[in-house]
Amino acid sequence: MPNTTEQCLSRVTTATFEELALLFPETQLTDEQAAAPLDVAVLVNFRGPEPGRLLLRASEQILPIIAANMLGAEQSGATPLQRDALGELANVICGNVLPAIFGADAIFHLDAPRLIEPGYMPVRDDDRPAARAMFGVENGRTEALLFLFGNAPARSRPVPPPAA
Amino acid sequence: MAFNVLVVDDSAVMRQMVVRTLKMSGVPLGTILEASNGEEGLFILQDQWVDLLMLDVNMPVMNGEEMLRRIRANPESESLPVIIVSTEGSETRLSALQEMGASIVRKPFAPETLRDVILRVTGVSDAEYYGTVPVSSDDSDF
Repeated sequence: MPNTTEQCLSRVTTATFEELALLFPETQLTDEQAAAPLDVAVLVNFRGPEPGRLLLRASEQILPIIAANMLGAEQSGATPLQRDALGELANVICGNVLPAIFGADAIFHLDAPRLIEPGYMPVRDDDRPAARAMFGVENGRTEALLFLFGNAPARSRPVPPPAA
Repeated sequence: MAFNVLVVDDSAVMRQMVVRTLKMSGVPLGTILEASNGEEGLFILQDQWVDLLMLDVNMPVMNGEEMLRRIRANPESESLPVIIVSTEGSETRLSALQEMGASIVRKPFAPETLRDVILRVTGVSDAEYYGTVPVSSDDSDF
């Protein structure tokens, strides 16, 4: 099976957590990780060849770890900064997954990440994520959802393999 | 020589990450200045001497591409070393930025990657960064 949107999202999310947050997402969740709530979410809307949005949800208990790894222990105590760190991860995931799906010539415009209310999911009549990736991280979990609002069937769209 | 650095990014988290990497890079640093968009950055450049600019692309008010264009159009700043630190994935936009003399670091970046580009752009030598390597006074023939 060729690369799919789902595989792209999974690969980009993993790379972003590894490189920016120095964390190693696990695809096989432990019972503790699977039971952890996804109680914080950030959203990045984008416009371009296909408009859409990326939603990144995470368990609150992993935010201090993400922030400490990104900013240093002395800078990471404040809750707003911890949520901004999650927003930056969402921004980087979105900025990298779109060219991976649509090609390097496509130009997208990303809005700034914004925190959304717990339990909120984007509401549109036809909202179904084109791709979803779930990972265990430390003692919690994270989930990235990509929504595409164009007409093409994104889930089966072949995409180029990652650069060597 | 100590480098004055201006970091322009609308994300406070990313500015902190870049500043943290700068401090770990071994580059001798003077003042580190921050701005949250291109317009703020240009105001700072009018008043402060800057040796290196770390610039994001997608920002509100004025984006990084426009800021870089204005910098290159000004004789006082046309040769300022610029490193673009961005998630920008469009080859078209990245090529345009490189043609204006910017080096590119894509997010996500490993701190070592950013450090290496900083060292290359600033011209800080390996000897300055790693220190001089003592050479033994071995007179044996080769």
